[in-house]
Amino acid sequence: MLRKDLRLELRSGESTLALLALSMLVLVVLVFALDAARVRSFDVAAGALWVAMVFSGMLGANRALLAERDNGAIRGLLLSPLDPGTLYAAKLAAALIFMVVAEVGAVILMVLFFNLEFDASIARLAPILALGAIGFSALATLLSAITGRTRGGDMLLPILAVPIFVPALIAGVKASAAALSGVPLDSMGQWLKIMVAFDVLFVTAGYLLFEHVVGED
Amino acid sequence: MSAPVVETHSLAKTYGLTPVLREVELRLMPGAGAFVIGGNGAGKSTLLRILAGLEAPSDGYALVFGQNTRKLAARYRRRIGVMAHQSFLYPNLTARENLEFYGELYSLADPRTSAEMWLERVGLADVADSRERTFSRGMEQRLSAARAMLSEPALLLLDEPFASLDHEGVEIIASLIRGAVEHGASVIATAHAILEIEGVDFAAYEISRGRLQPHLHKEEGRRGGRIRSLLGR
Repeated sequence: MLRKDLRLELRSGESTLALLALSMLVLVVLVFALDAARVRSFDVAAGALWVAMVFSGMLGANRALLAERDNGAIRGLLLSPLDPGTLYAAKLAAALIFMVVAEVGAVILMVLFFNLEFDASIARLAPILALGAIGFSALATLLSAITGRTRGGDMLLPILAVPIFVPALIAGVKASAAALSGVPLDSMGQWLKIMVAFDVLFVTAGYLLFEHVVGED
Repeated sequence: MSAPVVETHSLAKTYGLTPVLREVELRLMPGAGAFVIGGNGAGKSTLLRILAGLEAPSDGYALVFGQNTRKLAARYRRRIGVMAHQSFLYPNLTARENLEFYGELYSLADPRTSAEMWLERVGLADVADSRERTFSRGMEQRLSAARAMLSEPALLLLDEPFASLDHEGVEIIASLIRGAVEHGASVIATAHAILEIEGVDFAAYEISRGRLQPHLHKEEGRRGGRIRSLLGR
């Protein structure tokens, strides 16, 4: 399933290009709006990075399930012996891969636009961004299975996903700002615990609930 | 005596306030076939979707292989092949890749060989490496038939299998249905009018305003509502 999703993506390249373009757009707008290149601010850089991540994550999760709506392929999957939980895991993995690719691009752009250095603080961002990507992909994959069945579902996804993601988003921004300013990871335990709890909650909920939300009625 | 492959009891489906199926009673024994004939919106596709487990009935129940279709375990889903109005195929995958993907989903021993064999059977071997999105509606229908029959299921649910097909396509699908029946599969196929396939003796039902009843063909009515197949050769 994952191999098929990646093959479709490599063939079209639509999602990856759109995610990178969106990340770049968000960062450029925020850099100019906040005059951030002149005023070196870790808080603003972390905030901008997470805004780019959330937008690209929504696009990635939507795209991962969109291919299954063409020709009703999702029905073919539901009729097959495939366990719906496995289907969720495959879709989550695809969304996660797209989001990680977008994150790598967004981090490079953030360093360039916000006048930061490629040093150990960037490496410290990796586990924080990974936790954020897992949590947001898990949430957005579950929600896009619901919104994809409704007219205007693309519009509905951010309305549902962003408010639910707020606790992990706050924790991610705070932890990222701390990491960029040189604070070691063990001093941000409280933020990381919130993110881990969010990930566990939504990966489990997605795995258990997916068959109920992706069906036809 | 063997148990029926399909059995429905007082099956009903309502969308909002509109009843689509009412009190449907259907029984299909292993190796038997049934044509369900009806006009647009008569409830044919809804009936097949319920039997496939894609939709829940509003009232009554449907059993397939003795299992309620609301909770069909993977080992029972594996034994059902469905051909619907939508092809369930991926436009950006080639015909071969589509069949290989479904072959892997159904854990076939050799998905590649199975895909090639079925592409040959539906007359698409020459375009095996063309993307599905380049196919005509008729070619898509044939590939969809190959997808549905790839795992050689014990029950085939075919929703208007001859729609959009030219004469050659009709011959191919008719021959596949005949082959499936000869191998002991049970088949339910829907259509707007009576379908008659050489060598296949299916029971015929008519569905009208959601009610299913035996169809009495003009000439065949004397034989208790069964039709003899004529189409194909």
